[in-house]
Amino acid sequence: MANPILSVRNLHVKFRLRGRVLHALRGINLDVLEGESLAIVGESGCGKSVLNKNFIGLLDQNGFIESGSIHYFGMGDKMRNHSAAGEDELGRPYIDMARFEDNEDWLRIRGSEVCMIPQDPMTSLNPLKTIGWQISEALELHRGMTGDMAYDEVIRILEDVRIDDPERRYKQYPHELSGGMRQRIVIAIAIACQPKILICDEPTTALDVTIQAQVLTLLKDLKAKYNLTIIFITHDLGVVANIAERVAVMYAGDIIELGTVDDIFFDARHPYTWALLSSLPQLGQRGEELYSIKGTPPNLFKEIKGDAFAARNPHALKIDHIQQPPYFHVSPTHKARTWLLDPRAPKVEPPAALKKIKDIGGVNHGD
Amino acid sequence: MVKYLAKRFLRSFITLFIILSIVFVLVRQMPIEGYFPNIEKMSQADIERDLHMMGLDQPILVQLFDFFKDLVCEGSLGVSRVYRTNVPVTTILADKIPLSVQLGSMSLCLALLVGLPMGTLMAKYKGKLFDHIGTGFIVLINAVPAAVYYLFIQLYGTDLLNISMLFTRNPEGIRWVLPVISMSLGNIAYYAMWLRRYMVDESKKDYVMLARIKGASENQIMFRHIFRNSFVPLAQYIPTSFLNTVIGSIYIESLYGIPGMGGLLVDVIKKQDNNMIQGIVLLFACVGVIGLILGDILMVTLDPRISFTKKGGDR
Repeated sequence: MANPILSVRNLHVKFRLRGRVLHALRGINLDVLEGESLAIVGESGCGKSVLNKNFIGLLDQNGFIESGSIHYFGMGDKMRNHSAAGEDELGRPYIDMARFEDNEDWLRIRGSEVCMIPQDPMTSLNPLKTIGWQISEALELHRGMTGDMAYDEVIRILEDVRIDDPERRYKQYPHELSGGMRQRIVIAIAIACQPKILICDEPTTALDVTIQAQVLTLLKDLKAKYNLTIIFITHDLGVVANIAERVAVMYAGDIIELGTVDDIFFDARHPYTWALLSSLPQLGQRGEELYSIKGTPPNLFKEIKGDAFAARNPHALKIDHIQQPPYFHVSPTHKARTWLLDPRAPKVEPPAALKKIKDIGGVNHGD
Repeated sequence: MVKYLAKRFLRSFITLFIILSIVFVLVRQMPIEGYFPNIEKMSQADIERDLHMMGLDQPILVQLFDFFKDLVCEGSLGVSRVYRTNVPVTTILADKIPLSVQLGSMSLCLALLVGLPMGTLMAKYKGKLFDHIGTGFIVLINAVPAAVYYLFIQLYGTDLLNISMLFTRNPEGIRWVLPVISMSLGNIAYYAMWLRRYMVDESKKDYVMLARIKGASENQIMFRHIFRNSFVPLAQYIPTSFLNTVIGSIYIESLYGIPGMGGLLVDVIKKQDNNMIQGIVLLFACVGVIGLILGDILMVTLDPRISFTKKGGDR
């Protein structure tokens, strides 16, 4: 198994909102492995984006890390003398991003170590600067390139993200490009930074389906070419099946199931993952209503007792309402936080509809 | 773009022509008593002779034609009748405009030099001490009638600098200080307020987030991205406010006794000096029209999304 490049331990993040405190992340534990593509899925508001903003230091002003650590191993010895530096039990040096205090620290991480592709390409580019300028800025910031050298590199990167006629595009402004093209430019900017980890925050939601597939293929190719570690934030399970190697399912600020794509799609164990998969439109029966998860996610302003999903879970056990389940390991790569995996639990079969996922060959509508 | 501008200039000429014609006709509708302060002592024959001398007995269309003929062929706006008798209007204006322009452009430069950095810093330190002080200043300038702080500055400023209250009695150089400061305060508040507001708006946009993700420092983001983008909506008004300096400031010029353009129009209307009125109106109209054109040209140069040629556009 590859080494983790990012290791999150017991991360609690809270937000102050109108005098109340919202507990957005409730003890996240997650290893992101070097060179993998990890998908983080879950419904809106489950904390996917909040989690990832911690990796790049862009948590909203009113949010704060209450406890926990985010060890980043990608810097090697570079920040050894920093007060947040340390070594893990194997002697690998890390820097604890949860302990960063000022923006200067983040400037050493952002772009060059961790970069992010934001959700909406239509508004993510500066409308008054040329495409070339915006990519060059990244080159100048991280690789000290200017002038002809930067120009050549920008052209090369534009070709990399499959923009045709790069010399012409170099001089164009964002409003002259289509949405898919702008998303490629945003990707080009990220590539120009040469990060080790690339966070893609729903990179395809704003695009139409044909372009989605192109962008996903592009990201896959770039990952191989530049040896990137990619974290996908998405609620599109099709994207997950298409591109991810491992999947973390989030619910109410916690990761409730983690496994390889096959583990999650073909051998899911948590009732929430079942529910999520059951709502795939591909599994719907003609003439029947599509499946949707009943109820609403819990209120994170209140402390949650037991399993956060219990209230919406038709298979909930008594203990689900009393005590939070620990992680049960199904296999070395697969773990889930549900009491159903306890040896004492009654045997509950996953919904019959999920068996059909194999028949439809996963949900691979990307390729 | 050249074609567009040619069209635009042509239209401007039509606008100017219409404005001038209307004003020309209007001033001639005024009662003739206005031309003769001591009309009750004049005989009918005297009145008719004087009117004939001024050409006012002709049909109005003939008068209008003669006026435009002189303007186009000789560049003449006629002579002043009362204000400075028989001196050409153009000469009078040429004497007065430079003083007003000098005062106005200096105060505009000062306003930009102080107002823009002030707005930038207020946006940067939003909610902090500097922002509060700046907001206090803006509120003060906007809330207190200008006349009050003009007088205040004149009263204490002249004491402080040990100079006379009258502009013309002071040595060149120092005599500009107080009028320029007085005149720029309003604009400083204006530019600071709007720049701060636009910068705060811009700083919340997604592209700023991307710049941050890229790893740009806060200062780089402030100047390379936010300032430039926030300046665009303000830039449109700078040519107009510069050209408006030609018109002068009625209050400040009369306060310090600066013989500029300020108040001249009101003055000549009261005296019913037709040619002077027409000349000044032409000047004001030109300033307005040219200011708008320059503002638009500046916008096109600054914002690539705006173009003269394409209709509609992307945003």
